[in-house]
Amino acid sequence: MANRTYEVMYIIDPDIPQETIGKLNEAVGKVIEKEGATVVRMDDVGRKRLAYPIQKKNEGYYVLFEIDGSGKEIAELERRMRVNDMILRYITVRVDEDRKTADKLRAKRETKATKRAKFRESGETAEASAEA
Amino acid sequence: MAEKEMENLNAGKLNVGEDVIGDRPRRYQRRRPRNVMPDYVDWKDVDFLRNFIPERGKIMPRRISGISAKDQRRLAKAIKRARTMAMLPFVAD
Repeated sequence: MANRTYEVMYIIDPDIPQETIGKLNEAVGKVIEKEGATVVRMDDVGRKRLAYPIQKKNEGYYVLFEIDGSGKEIAELERRMRVNDMILRYITVRVDEDRKTADKLRAKRETKATKRAKFRESGETAEASAEA
Repeated sequence: MAEKEMENLNAGKLNVGEDVIGDRPRRYQRRRPRNVMPDYVDWKDVDFLRNFIPERGKIMPRRISGISAKDQRRLAKAIKRARTMAMLPFVAD
């Protein structure tokens, strides 16, 4: 299966003690690795105010994972997150394709810019020689 | 409060306001494209997304934001993702 990159973010109940949160994050990492994927980045965003209450809670503990894998591990991970009471909400976003198109756009813009610069330069030199 | 201030700032940048022709105010502000739209619209970048949500929390229509249709689609998707994760409100009052 082709390589895919996902962003998985979840919100943990803010009433859960810090060590339990750490353990939960470790467990998530283990699940990912057991399914044959790799954790590219793990970002502990921390407590943030929610824009609207979820399960009568006004705050949440945000954690973000970036995963490189096939897509199979996502199913397992989502199943576990759904069952877990500590996790208020989660989201999985596939990012590799959008990033690729973004890279393409950037490359296109850069080549255009260099071309333009070259054109401008050649125009200036032509002017200078005409003056001389 | 702070949000309201930012809202005003945005309004100033977009020149949204009473644009009078004759004695009748024009209904909509002319489209004024924003100069920069990133190649990748990140749904986690709440500060950027907030530029495109007026006071009520709705997504700014294209006729006002002036961005391209393609960008508007990407933006709308990003805002909706941020909403699911309670980073942006569905309705703000």
